[in-house]
Amino acid sequence: MSLKVPKANNIQLFKEGYKHLQGLEDAVLRNIQAVSELSDLVRTSFGPNGRNKLLINHLGKLFVTSDAATIIREVEVVHPAAKLLVMASQAQEAEMGDATNMVIILAGELLKKAEHLLIMGLHPSEITRGYELAAKKGLEELETLSTSSLSTPLTQAELAIALKPAIASKQYGYEDTLSSLVAEAALAVMPPNPKNFNVDNVRVVKIMGGSLAGSKVVRGMVFGREPEGICKKTKKAKVAVFTCGLGLSQTETKGTVLIKNKDEMLNFTTGEEKHMEKIFQEIADSGVKVIIAGSTIDDLALHFLNRMNIAVLKVLSKFDLRRLCRVVNATPLARMGAPTPEEAGFVDVFETVEIGGDRVTVLRQLVEGDPGYDPLETSGEKTRTATVVLRGATINHLDDLERAVDDGVNVIKALLKDGRLVPGAGATELELARRVDSYGAGLKGLSQHGVRRWATALEVVPRTLAENALGGAEGNEVVSKLWAKHEQEGGAAWGVDVEAQSDGTLSTTEHRILDSLAAKSWAISLATEAAVSVLTVDSIIMSKPAGGPKVPQQAGNWDEDD
Amino acid sequence: MASSIELINPKAESVRRAAALQVNIAGAMGLANVVKNNLGPRGTLKMLVDGAGQIKMTKDGKVLLSEMQIQNPTAAMIARTAVAQDDQVGDGTTSVVLLVGELLKQADRYISEGVHPTVIAEGFDLAKKEALAFLDTFKRPVTLDRPTLISVAHTSLATKIHSTLAKQLAADVVDAVLTIRPPPPPEDAKDRWREPVDLHMVEIMKMQHRTASETQLVRGLVLDHGGRHPDMPKRVENAYILTLNVSLEYEKTCEVQKDCELKNLVCDQVVGSGEKPKNFVIINQKGIDPLSLDILAKNGILALRRAKRRNMERLQLVCGGVAQNSVDDLTPDLLGWAGLVYEHTLGEEKFTFVEDVKDPKSVTLLIKGPNPHTIQQTRDALRDGLRAVKNALEDEALVPGAGAFEVSCAAHLSGPVKKNAKGRVKMGVQAFADALLVIPKMLAANGGFDVQDALVQLQEEQADGNIVGLDLQSGEPFDPTIEGVWDNYRVKRQMLHSCSVIAVNLLSTDEILRAGRSSLKPDGQQ
Repeated sequence: MSLKVPKANNIQLFKEGYKHLQGLEDAVLRNIQAVSELSDLVRTSFGPNGRNKLLINHLGKLFVTSDAATIIREVEVVHPAAKLLVMASQAQEAEMGDATNMVIILAGELLKKAEHLLIMGLHPSEITRGYELAAKKGLEELETLSTSSLSTPLTQAELAIALKPAIASKQYGYEDTLSSLVAEAALAVMPPNPKNFNVDNVRVVKIMGGSLAGSKVVRGMVFGREPEGICKKTKKAKVAVFTCGLGLSQTETKGTVLIKNKDEMLNFTTGEEKHMEKIFQEIADSGVKVIIAGSTIDDLALHFLNRMNIAVLKVLSKFDLRRLCRVVNATPLARMGAPTPEEAGFVDVFETVEIGGDRVTVLRQLVEGDPGYDPLETSGEKTRTATVVLRGATINHLDDLERAVDDGVNVIKALLKDGRLVPGAGATELELARRVDSYGAGLKGLSQHGVRRWATALEVVPRTLAENALGGAEGNEVVSKLWAKHEQEGGAAWGVDVEAQSDGTLSTTEHRILDSLAAKSWAISLATEAAVSVLTVDSIIMSKPAGGPKVPQQAGNWDEDD
Repeated sequence: MASSIELINPKAESVRRAAALQVNIAGAMGLANVVKNNLGPRGTLKMLVDGAGQIKMTKDGKVLLSEMQIQNPTAAMIARTAVAQDDQVGDGTTSVVLLVGELLKQADRYISEGVHPTVIAEGFDLAKKEALAFLDTFKRPVTLDRPTLISVAHTSLATKIHSTLAKQLAADVVDAVLTIRPPPPPEDAKDRWREPVDLHMVEIMKMQHRTASETQLVRGLVLDHGGRHPDMPKRVENAYILTLNVSLEYEKTCEVQKDCELKNLVCDQVVGSGEKPKNFVIINQKGIDPLSLDILAKNGILALRRAKRRNMERLQLVCGGVAQNSVDDLTPDLLGWAGLVYEHTLGEEKFTFVEDVKDPKSVTLLIKGPNPHTIQQTRDALRDGLRAVKNALEDEALVPGAGAFEVSCAAHLSGPVKKNAKGRVKMGVQAFADALLVIPKMLAANGGFDVQDALVQLQEEQADGNIVGLDLQSGEPFDPTIEGVWDNYRVKRQMLHSCSVIAVNLLSTDEILRAGRSSLKPDGQQ
């Protein structure tokens, strides 16, 4: 570091290029501005009537979505304060997989409300204290608002109802179809103890063409490619899974062979062929009818496989291979050779079907009611993976459908851990606002301002729902109507009617609009935390952005190398 | 006025005499201004954005000063002293920077009236000596039981993280240190010397998950990787642990076989004898290739590969057993034991918990937080908390906190010490006394209270002979010894030392020089 002799009147403490923003005006209010920009950006995408955004990311990929998690990921926020919100939203995505938009909107609103207080001259520490008190009280009240919870044992209809609001906010109009698809898939793979439900077991395959009505759930896995050989279809088959390629391995050293006459020429590869034939004969003798290869299959191997009528499918993804192993209950083999009985898996149906214009391979287990189901012959095990085959007109639409399904699956996971449900459609937020506001009114000291602002900030949820659905001017009207209804006895379940069939309000209990309590509680606490962190920052010190390529994000675990 | 050095080397830059002193004073005050808002539990945060756009939120002076690239030479010098303070005692960095700035500011007042800097410097030296002597009388020898230590840890943590989190972590930090503290030497030992606490035995592990308030102490070990084979058991009870440092790669099937044989020897022979089933875990510092993993999985062994070296040491301390460098002669008595070993998956990341051990000599503080900057903040705070507890154990004495020492010391210096000092030295002593008051002043300012009111109240209470600190909830004076606000003795001692040394150095500087860039090429060739 080369230091310079400074001049007494011109103090520059930091290295050149550093930006140092200090104080209320420079740091706090500017941060709030930036955050408001971000929350306004995603606000119009909130709720069932949220608008889609068309994004083109730095790779030139096109997205059409109203999913906040995707939007904020692709716009690459750089402002540090806005980044805090993004991180809060990502934490919500990781914990719950839903309500990411709510985190940003709520945190943005909390900060906007704080701005008024700051301009009035309140110290940021008073506001943060008020916000923390309010969030604590709000979360306590939230616990009491739960009206129902998931039934046990789970039924498809029950699960679909709980999913509907989450899916409706992504794909309004398709929520009935999608939520029953997701519920069906989830139930198909539900382990005996629902707490062990693994989101990875519900896969999505997108096939262009047709319409959403043609989507279905397959109990097993679907691969978007055809089997390699001529055998395309088989039933009740033993399966061997190989992680290595099928074929003879190359020698590591180069060798030169001098061929002196025609016999040597003819016999040159005979040994290899014999050896291969022997291996595949052994495999065939062990009863294997389907081979899944994790790597290349050479022509010679394919020839023998065709001759022995063994179906062979290439699955190049290591993770898919592992999932497939779970589905068929096989152990992946790292060398060529016949599997032992324990190592081989079993699949009821291996078939190639045409969906739309694509030919796909399906591996599935039969369930009761399917044609050809015979309880004596199947492995009798529940399938371990279910695949939702989505149909749609464009890639973008399919991508968006997939995100909706992913959110739905995550909601199921969250609900299985904590099955309590609260009224949706903004009813819970408004009720919380009401209760926290009256709590704030009873507080002494300056923090009550913070508490009451926190309560008003919660209004943003019903207001945005109404604004997005009914037009900008209606927001205030609907919110005031809701306040009136919530003041009445037993009015806690009144929410926003996005279809505006009557006066813009509806009873969520009648319409069965329910949200997960856990997701709400995480969203509220993360949003408050993010807002409080932005408020407690009194100065930002930014170094000059480093040049050069970006540090690549390490994918997966550091221990991953195979 | 060109300095003579510029005649010799035209590329040199220099500042002289009064200007040099001005540069130093302005630099020190500038740096103090940057960090002053961070002092104390009510201090605000700084957000640092590094070149790659990563965010760091901190209140910790050490983190702030070591993360920022400081250009001003005076500020860089102070920053280095402050960082040295942190390396020595783990806390008090912000205070050092503030004190240096304030000492120079007070000195500046006298210098502008024509007092020579060396006179002030002399006064600082005397004041420092007296202040250290006073510190020795002011410290309180206390019984270091768990509640006292928790309040020490809490005092340190509260200045770094949110108060509710600090309260919760204080207990964890104290328990961590007490668990790994070596036992006292036996009564009849020849030299009664107790082994020092080794804080490296507290592993700090991070999990990006849930909220910071779920940070917890694990009496065992948490490793940041898991079994590398899908068929390995995910949860193992009553586990016998073999720690290895043997590469099980490239067809070392025979070696893997030996491990399995040992497993059979230890675990499988008791099957049917009615005992609790025994299980087997291998933790290897080197790699294990997929083939070997396969064999191990078939034998029902949970195997972890590429464990960190420091974890291998800790593993032996946690569960006992002896790490092996070869698999030639494995015997059952080389094995460690843990009641529960389980794997926890978090998205792509896997963690393995080794818990429920008999006599842990090493523990893990597991930090959780929803995003990297929260985790980093908690981590820096925990480090300081651990140091604070360790310092307290080693000092066997504590100093009342919340500005109590500074107020009393200032009164002591401007009273009896100043009276006994001869001649012009008095001015330096007075400047030192005034400078010390910056700590309670800043505490009050950050709490949103009126600085003058708070200080006068404190001084009045102090004049009545009480020990008083500033209550940051109410802004009123209170007794820190009752509320359990304690600082470390050695932190204060180091702070007084380093701030006065650096202030005296800066005061006695009369010229700042920078030689021109030396160029290896001869003149004329550029």
